[in-house]
Parts: sequence; structure tokens; C-alpha cells
Amino acid sequence: MVQSAKPVPPIWCPGCGDFSLLAAVKKAAANLKIGPSDLVLVGGIGCSGSIHNFLEVNGIHALHGRLLAQAVGVKLSNPGLTVVAAGGDGDGYAIGMGHFMHAFKKNVSLLYIVMNNETYGLTKGQPSPTSQVGFEGNVEQPFDAILSALSIPAPNFIARTFSGDPKTMTAVLEEAIRFNHENRGFAFVEDLSPCVTYNDTYKLWREKVVDVSKIPGYDPTDRKTMFRLYLETTESGKIPIGVMHRPKEVQKAGLEAKLLGDAQGPARSEIALEPNLAAYQKLLASVA
Amino acid sequence: MTTPAARTAPISGESGPAESKPPTELADLSVMIGGQGGDGTLTVSDLLGRYFRKGGLYVYTSRNVLSRIRGGHADASVRASRDPISTVKPEIDVLVAFDNEAVEMGKLELASHGFVIYDSTGFHIDLPNSAGFPFATLVGGPLGQPIFKNTAAYGALSVLLGFDLERTRAVIEERFKRRGAEALEKNLKALEIGRKAALEVAGLPNRFSVLDGDAHDQILTTGNQAVALGFVVGGGRFFAGYPITPATEVMEYLQRYLPAFGGIVRQAEDELAAVNMIIGAAYAGARVMTSTSGPGLALMTEGIGQAGTAEIPIVVADCARVGPSTGQPTRHEQSDLSHLANLGHGEYPRFILTPASPEDCFTVTIEALNLAEKWRVPVILLLDQALCQNTSTSDRFDLAGAHLDRGQRLSVEDVNALTEYKVYKFSDNGISPYAAPGTPGVWAEVTGNEHDEWGHVSVNPTNRNRMMKKRMGKMIHARDELPAARLFGDANAKVGFIGYGSTSGPILETQSILAARGLKTRYFQARTVFPVPVHELDPFLNSVDVAYIVEHNYTGQFARLIREHLPWHHAKLRSILKYDGFTFRTPQIIAEVKEAH
Repeated sequence: MVQSAKPVPPIWCPGCGDFSLLAAVKKAAANLKIGPSDLVLVGGIGCSGSIHNFLEVNGIHALHGRLLAQAVGVKLSNPGLTVVAAGGDGDGYAIGMGHFMHAFKKNVSLLYIVMNNETYGLTKGQPSPTSQVGFEGNVEQPFDAILSALSIPAPNFIARTFSGDPKTMTAVLEEAIRFNHENRGFAFVEDLSPCVTYNDTYKLWREKVVDVSKIPGYDPTDRKTMFRLYLETTESGKIPIGVMHRPKEVQKAGLEAKLLGDAQGPARSEIALEPNLAAYQKLLASVA
Repeated sequence: MTTPAARTAPISGESGPAESKPPTELADLSVMIGGQGGDGTLTVSDLLGRYFRKGGLYVYTSRNVLSRIRGGHADASVRASRDPISTVKPEIDVLVAFDNEAVEMGKLELASHGFVIYDSTGFHIDLPNSAGFPFATLVGGPLGQPIFKNTAAYGALSVLLGFDLERTRAVIEERFKRRGAEALEKNLKALEIGRKAALEVAGLPNRFSVLDGDAHDQILTTGNQAVALGFVVGGGRFFAGYPITPATEVMEYLQRYLPAFGGIVRQAEDELAAVNMIIGAAYAGARVMTSTSGPGLALMTEGIGQAGTAEIPIVVADCARVGPSTGQPTRHEQSDLSHLANLGHGEYPRFILTPASPEDCFTVTIEALNLAEKWRVPVILLLDQALCQNTSTSDRFDLAGAHLDRGQRLSVEDVNALTEYKVYKFSDNGISPYAAPGTPGVWAEVTGNEHDEWGHVSVNPTNRNRMMKKRMGKMIHARDELPAARLFGDANAKVGFIGYGSTSGPILETQSILAARGLKTRYFQARTVFPVPVHELDPFLNSVDVAYIVEHNYTGQFARLIREHLPWHHAKLRSILKYDGFTFRTPQIIAEVKEAH
């Protein structure tokens, strides 16, 4: 047994919602029998983005806001890896917004988890893109990631979980990773993960969350229905959690499958000169 | 509207029939084609380039276009010579003008024997040695559209220059066959219309004769195409980029080439995504590259810094243009060097390589991929607009000299022999063996935070010192593996030139002009500019009394780097600078050298 990097203790405050997420990721990986060598966890910048240090995994700590771009590079390069990107709401919805919206469009089979606490915790409590009006002087409207995700007509998996409900969270993460393993495309899970130090919303959220699957008419394969259900629920002051979208058709719609077919991917392709020599000669001969 | 009467009018400035006059032989010819964007000047230049190449001549073409698709002045020039060339000719032998602006601009550089062919559909000029043809009107009737006027102009040129008819037609076929039978037929008709009109003008046919050459083994290519080919052969399999002039063609060529080799090319949502996608792909174990220009490079800067400190091997091709900000997107400059040498916040190792020709771009791109992966550093290919986009003849790219070095990449067998896998393991030369994610039995933490050997975040001052020395030391340990400078000219010369990139073309030509006038010179062509090759520059500068650093920027960026790293040679260094968006012409360099000698 070769000794690899050992996990370090989390830097999070006691009671942080991110602990639930960390436990759920570990559990989902164990249930799906994904070993640390085959799992890549791409972390963002902020409290939540340090998650890759706290479990046995191939961890890469991306630049602020760029974790999705790096995760896309990893998965396209070696589609045999299970790729999970995880960061915060500031990382994903502010500095990383461009990549966030494009991730749905690209539809690479990787899981992106945003630990949304409606604040910038690591820099001590500034308002974030999801902060409510009035929080720390915030006068801007909060951004709604689920609505934005639903707005892109791509066959993605879209869900929301709550750190106060770890059981549902594990089930959702498992489904998301299985979705990726079947090369069906991009999976997005927003986890409502309270910041106990700067924005403790545990009590408030526990009162407000509703299981979206229990709402009459629930059909995650129908985008129009889910838009309506989601809007009606939020406008009534509740917070829907659960699977918001899951494409009806089971097909290999993931970008890596579309681009590569049965090929191994750039990281595993044979690049030695000898086996490619004839093809290279033909390529060079085409230049006149 | 002009009538096609120009066909029968004598050439202005000609007195009497000129058929008796022997053709002016040209062994080094330049043709400039100017007009509005959309007039098809680049097509005429392409056709001429193909024709001359088939005749065994060395060819160099350049373009002067605006950052717009239609309208605005645009011109292209083609030079053909029996001797190797790699820059534009300072004077124009033949000017083809589709509007008066092209005449006004072109006549400033027109040789005394120079000749002007112009489209008289919309204007007239009164110049000796000129002939106007209403090309747009002539083709508009029979072909239904005036756009074929450029091919008609090529026809008139073929008469003026005494072209072989079969080869003239073959070039049209080669260029237009992909556009379908109708396009080809119409262009061949336009060619005939242009030829017929020119043949009827006294004094025009065979006024010049261009001798064929013997450079039949050459290919006609650009730096951008060569970089794309080098990337494929060098094992590059993942490319992400964002469209930007003058770098876009690298991505376009790779979109054509790479899928057949199991590779992936992605057009990203911005340059931030492009550089971070290649970082992810390189981390996963692929050989990667992106290409960009100044504005995109600015956005990629943070990512390149992460690659430096997290030790992720990426290659970034910077196709430099005029800066700062949007600058002049289509124009030439070498003003990114200072930015690249100091790229980003904090300190990390990087190699900046500067190929000088398409052939060199091919070779150095392969080397860049090897160096990046072996030393686990970001490698910058510093190119410039002229090198990237001007076409020139080149020796065929050679596979015999190519080799791949994957450095200390750990296989499954290698890993099994380990007791521990530390991704940032300390070593004498700073290289830590690397196992890509997915290698059974091992995993690691990779981060742009300062870290210990395991990749765990560390603020320990002793570790920080060791890690900084490990990374920065790569620039010392790799020194002898970086592309070596090339020296040209007389080893005993006391006058030296220093330059890099496409500036090599005008410098080499200046050297032969000066040699013919009795002044011996020696040229140091830098192929690695950072780390500054002190071990190569020091003996060179010892050998000369004065060295002219020839570069395209205002502040003498390479000269400043050389002064910083070799201050004891300060008094010998002179700068020859140009930053007007155009490449050096030999007379400027000669004038600045002559002033001192």
C-alpha cells in the first residue's frame, strides 16, 4: 500500500452546514464504491472550497470562480474519472457566473455542488449574490440559481438539498453521480448550507423548506411544470428542495460522450511518436 | 460609368508601341494588392503566392487589414524570390489597386520601374506606367456579380508578368475547387476576362518576366499553422481557446487536425475558462495548449500563475499584437515581453520561447510541450502577428528530429514500487514525479496555495522557503534544455544584432545588404528569452563592440531585460525600435546602423 495524502481536519466552524455535505459526499462515494484514486474533487475558493482537503481523494484547488472550467478540463481529458466540483455561492454565482451558466449548456458529465450560505464567510460576512435584501446592507435582489438552471434547455440534472436533511442529501448526490456515470450530462446540486457564524439560517430554513416531490403535480421531467411549481412555492415564502429537473430520456448526452465516443480521452490517448508516425506523415504531407 | 474603353487606350506615360521593349527581369518581385475590405485583395495575394510557389520560388506574403470584415482600406503583398526571404520587400514592383486610396498608399513605396494596374470602374488616375481596367464592369455583365473583379485582376497580372497560362489556371482550380463547380467556372471566366483585356493593351503583356526558381521542396505556411501541427506531433491532445486576432487560426487548424487523434478542441466562453480548462486537462494528464493575444493573455494571467505554483504543465501561445487594451488587433508588435517576464502576482518559474519562422514554430512547440511536462511549469510560446499570420515558404516540417520527453510521469508499475506518493516531493532539480489522477493506488492534493510535499496547505516558513527554491530553481536547472540561440553572419564581426521572432527576417536581410557593402555583422537570434539566456548572450556580447537590439515596441523591452541580467555589457547596447504597427523594413535598420558606422 502506497501512502498518499491523508485528510486534514476541516477548517470550518463547529456546526457549519458544510460538515453535512462533506459527510454526504463521503457516503455517496462509499455507496457507489468509488475509490479515492478515481475520484477528483475540484474545490473553489472560500470556506466550502477547502472540502477536498478533508477526505481521501484526488483534490485540486481551483482559482476563485474557475472550478467549473477546471472540472470540465479534467472530465473531458479523462472521462473515466468521477469529477465533483464543490464551492460556495460567491465563487459560483458572482466571480464564476460566466462558467456557471455555460456549464449547463456544455453538459459535461460532472457534479457541481454549491454550498449556498448567502454570505461570504471566509472574508467575514459580506453580502453574497444570494443574500436577502437587508442582509449586511444588501439592497440588490438575491440571485436564484435553480431558476437560472431551469432556464437553459439542456438535459441536465438539477437539484437542491438542505444541510439540515443529510439523508435526502446523500440520496440526491448518489443519483447525481450515477447520472454522471451514465454519461447523461451535467448535474447541479445547490446545498443550502448555513453559516453559523455570519448568517445562521438553520432555524429559518428548517421552517421554510418543503420537499418539492410532495407538491401536487410534481414532474421533474417537465421543465414548464417545474418552473411554475418552483415559482409558486418560493412566492409563497417556502424554499423547495429535492430534484428540480431530470431528463426523461436516458441517453448519453454528456459532452465527453459526444466528443469522444469510445475513445479514451486526451489524458489516456497514445501520444508516443512511433504508433502515430504514419498518421503524422500524412498530416504533414497535406500542407502545401 | 466608365466604358471598357481602357482596353484600347495606350498605357499612360508610354510613347509609342512598347512590344519591342524587352521584359524587365525580376529575380525578387513584390506585388501589392490594395482596396477596400471585401474587395478580395487577400485572394489575389493567395493566388499569386500559389503561382510563385509552383514555380519554385521562395514566397513571403503579408497583409494589412483592419479589424472589420467589409470596408476600410485593406492590402496584401506578395514577394517572390529565387533566394530565401522572410520579410517584405521595401519597394513595390507592381501595384494592383481597387480604389484610389490604395494608389495613394501604394505609390509611396512604388519602385521607379513600378507598374500600377487599377480597377477604373470608379476612378481614374494619371500616373505613368499604369493601366486602368473596369474589372467590376467587365465581370459584372457576363458573371452577374462584380465580386469576381479580383480574379480578373489576377488575370491581368498574369499577362503583365508573363505567367505560364496552364499554371495560372491550375492555381485557380486549386483555390476554388472546394467552393463547387459553379464558383470554379466563374473564376476561370473572370481570369479569361482579365487576361483578354490586358492582352489588348499595348506595352502591357510580358512587361516583366519572373524567372522560376528551384525551391520546389518548400511548403507555404504560417506560424499559426506550424504551431498547430507542432502541437499535434508533440502529443498535444487538449486545446481550449477563445477567438482573438491574430491567434484564432491556431484553434481553427486544431479543430481540423485534433479529433482524428482522439484529441479535444473547445472554444471556451472566455479566456478565463480557456486557461482553466487546460489547467484541469493537464492536471488529469493530457498535453495541453491555449493560444491567445494580449487582451486574452491579461485574463489568463492568474491561471498561468496557478500553473506555476501548483506545478501543472501548460503551454500558452501568445500571438502578440499592438497593445495595450484593444490596441490594434490586426497589427504587429512585440510589446508583451515585459508583461510575460513578470507575469502575474507573486513569483514562479516560466519559460518563454521565441521561434523565428514557421519551421521553428513547429519544432519549438514540440519542445514547449516536452519542457512543460518534464519541468512541470507553464511554458509561453511568444509569437508575433507577422510570424503568426504572414505566409512564407518553409522547409517541410521534419519528423526525424522530433522526440517526446514525458519527464518523470509515474506509471502504475512505478507507483507500486513506491512507499509514499508525495506530489510535491523535494528533489535536486525541483522536479517531483507525477501520477495523474486515476492512477490506481495513489491520490494527491494539488493547489495554488503554498503547500507541503503532500499538497496540504502550509504556512510554515521553512517549508515556504524550500518550496520557493524548489520551484524557482527550475529556471536554473533547465537552462541547457531550453531552445538555444542561433547565430548568423560573421563570427569576427564587431557589429552585432539581437532579435527574436519575425524580426529575424529583416535582420537577416539587412545583414546580407551590409555584407555586400563591406560591413560584417553577427546576429544573435534568441529562441529563449526568459529565463534570459545570460550564458549565451555573454560570449556573444564579448565578441562584438556594439549590439543593436531590434524589436517592435516603444521602451526596448528585450534590451531592458538584457541590461538587467547582463549589466556589465550596458555600454555596448543600442536599441532599434519600431511600434507603428508595421514590421521593420531593411532601410530603417541600415540607416540606424550606418549613422554610427
